Amino acid sequence: MPWPPKVFWVGVVLYYGFTALCWLAEATSGINHIVGAPFWYASFLGTFLIPLLMSVIYFYFPERAEEARGGA
Amino acid sequence: MAVEAPVIGITILYFLAIIGIGYYSRQRLKSATDYYVAGRQVGAVVNGLALESTYLSPASMLGLPAYVFIIGYPFWWAMAAIIAGMPIATLLTASALRKYAPTSFADYYADRYNDQRLRWLVGIVTVIGAVLYITLSIVGMALFLLAIAKVPYIVGIIVGTIIVMLYVVWGGMIATSWNAAFQAFLMTVAAVIAAIAILVKLGGIDGFYTAVAANNPKFWNTPSDPTPPHLFSGTWIAVIGWFFVWHYGFATMPYTVVRFFTTMDIKTARRSIFWCTLAAGIFYMALQIIGASSKLMIETGPMGGKGANAVVILKNYMAQYGVGGWPDYSMVAAVEALQNPWILGILCAGGLAIAMSTAAGWVMVVNTLVTRDWGDLMLKSRYAKENPITLARIISVIFLLVGLGIAINPPGLVLDLSGWAFVVIISALGPGLILGLWWKRASRAAMWTTAIVMTPLHLYAWLKAKLVLGHHAFFFLNDVIFGNPKALITPHQVWAIPVGFILFIIVSLITKPVEEEAVQKYCVELTQEV
Repeated sequence: MPWPPKVFWVGVVLYYGFTALCWLAEATSGINHIVGAPFWYASFLGTFLIPLLMSVIYFYFPERAEEARGGA
Repeated sequence: MAVEAPVIGITILYFLAIIGIGYYSRQRLKSATDYYVAGRQVGAVVNGLALESTYLSPASMLGLPAYVFIIGYPFWWAMAAIIAGMPIATLLTASALRKYAPTSFADYYADRYNDQRLRWLVGIVTVIGAVLYITLSIVGMALFLLAIAKVPYIVGIIVGTIIVMLYVVWGGMIATSWNAAFQAFLMTVAAVIAAIAILVKLGGIDGFYTAVAANNPKFWNTPSDPTPPHLFSGTWIAVIGWFFVWHYGFATMPYTVVRFFTTMDIKTARRSIFWCTLAAGIFYMALQIIGASSKLMIETGPMGGKGANAVVILKNYMAQYGVGGWPDYSMVAAVEALQNPWILGILCAGGLAIAMSTAAGWVMVVNTLVTRDWGDLMLKSRYAKENPITLARIISVIFLLVGLGIAINPPGLVLDLSGWAFVVIISALGPGLILGLWWKRASRAAMWTTAIVMTPLHLYAWLKAKLVLGHHAFFFLNDVIFGNPKALITPHQVWAIPVGFILFIIVSLITKPVEEEAVQKYCVELTQEV
C-alpha cells in the first residue's frame, strides 16, 4: 500500500504537536494572559513560521532524494 | 463621508494594471492547453502567489477578521490551521497530481476510477460550488468598492464582473495566473500596511495586546478561563472544531488543485506551495491583528467616542450601504478609523484583488469542465473539439453573467451557502481524491456513493442548523441527541469530512476494486517518490 514519505509525518507531528502544546499551556498555565504572548506563539509561530518550515522541508527533502536517485 | 483622491487613484491604477496584464496575456495564447492550464509553464513564485489569491476568497479578507472580532482570540487558531493546510497538500495531493498532469479537475476521477461518467457527477458538484463562489466574489468586489470608494453597489458588481470577464476571456489561465499573482502581492501588502499602521498607533505588539484587553477583557480568553470570549469559543471541542474547519480544503478544492496542473514540473509544484505559504502566512498574521483590534479601532475612531458600541456602529454601516451583514464591515471600519486615505486606497485595491482572483479561478475550473469534459469528451460535440478556446470563453461569460445576475440582489442565504459549498466539495469529492491516490482499495462505487450521499446530506444538515437551530455552527443533531440546539458547537465541516471519508472507506471495502491497471498507475506510479 502506498504511504506518504516520512518527511510528511515529521511536518504533521511538528504542527499538530506544537498546537497541542500551546493549548495545553493555555489551559494549564494561562500563557494567553502573558502580554503579547499569543501574537508570538499563535500568530508568528503557528500561522507563519511553522507552516513555512513545513513547506520548506516538503520541497527540500524530496528534491534531495531525487538528486540522490540521479533525477532532476 | 467624501472619497479622497488617493482612494480613487489607487483603485483606477489597479484596474488598469489587471486589464493590461490580461491584454498582454492574450498575445501569448496559442493553444487550448495554454487556455486551460497556461501551457504548464507557470513558475513557482507566480503559481504560489496565484494559489494564495485564488484560494483565499473575500470571505478571508472580510469574514475572518469579523470572526476574530466576534469569537475572539481562539479563532486565530482556525486561521493558523488554514495556512498549515497548505504545506500538508504538498505531499498529499499536489506532487502526485502534477506528476499525472491532467487538464481538468474531472480528469483524475474519470481515469482513476475508470469511469468517464464521473465527469458529469464531479462536474455538477463543482459547478454548484462555482456559481456560489463566483457570486460571493462579485458581491465582495462591489462591497469593497461601495464601502471604501463609495461606488454604488450596482455599478460595482457590473464593473468588477466586466473586468474579470475581460482578462479571463482574453488570456484564460495565462492571464488568470499572472493577474492572480499580482493580486496576491497587492492584497498581502494592503493587509500588512493596515496591520502595521494599527500596531504603530497602539504602541507595538505589547501595546496592541494591552489595548485590546482593556477594550474587551474577554478577548484573549480561552475555554479554560472563567468567561470565554463567545459561545462559539466556549469549549475546547468548539476550538478544535474551528481549527479543523477549513484545514484540508487546500489539498482538495478544484480551484487550487487545477493550479498544481499549471506548473512546469513536480519540483515547481512543491516550491510553489512554499511561496503560497509564505505570502498567505504574512497575510493572515495581518488579518489576525486587524480582526483583534477591530472593536477597539471602531469604538475609539472618528465614528466612535465615549460609550460607543462597535456593533451598533457596524449596523449603521450596514443600514447605510444595504448589502451583506454587519460583521462584513468590521475590517473596513477598523482601517477607516486610521483616517489615512492611502491605506484605504490600497485596502480597496487589495479587497478587489482577492475577490477578482477567486472569481477568475472558479471560472477557469468550470469553463474547462464544461467545454472539455462535457462538450468534447462526453457529448462528443464537434464544435467543442474544433473551437475549444471560443467555447471556453463563451462558458466563462455565461458563468460570470449568472453570478452577476444573482449578485444584483443576493439572498443572504446564497452568500452563506458559499461556506456550505466549500465543505460539500471536500466531503463529497475529497475522499475520492485523496484515498484514490493513497489507497488501492478505493472503489468506483464508493466514489459515486460518497458524492451522491454527502452533497444532499450536507445541504440538509447545513440548512437545518442554520434555519431550525439558529446558526450553521451548531451541530445539526443537537436537538435530537441533546434536546438543546446549542449543546454542541461543531462547525458542520468537522463532522461532514470524517463522515465522507468513513462512508467512502466502508463502501470501498464492500464493493469491487477498480481495475488493476488504474490502481497501479495512481496508487503506485504517481505516489511513489512524491
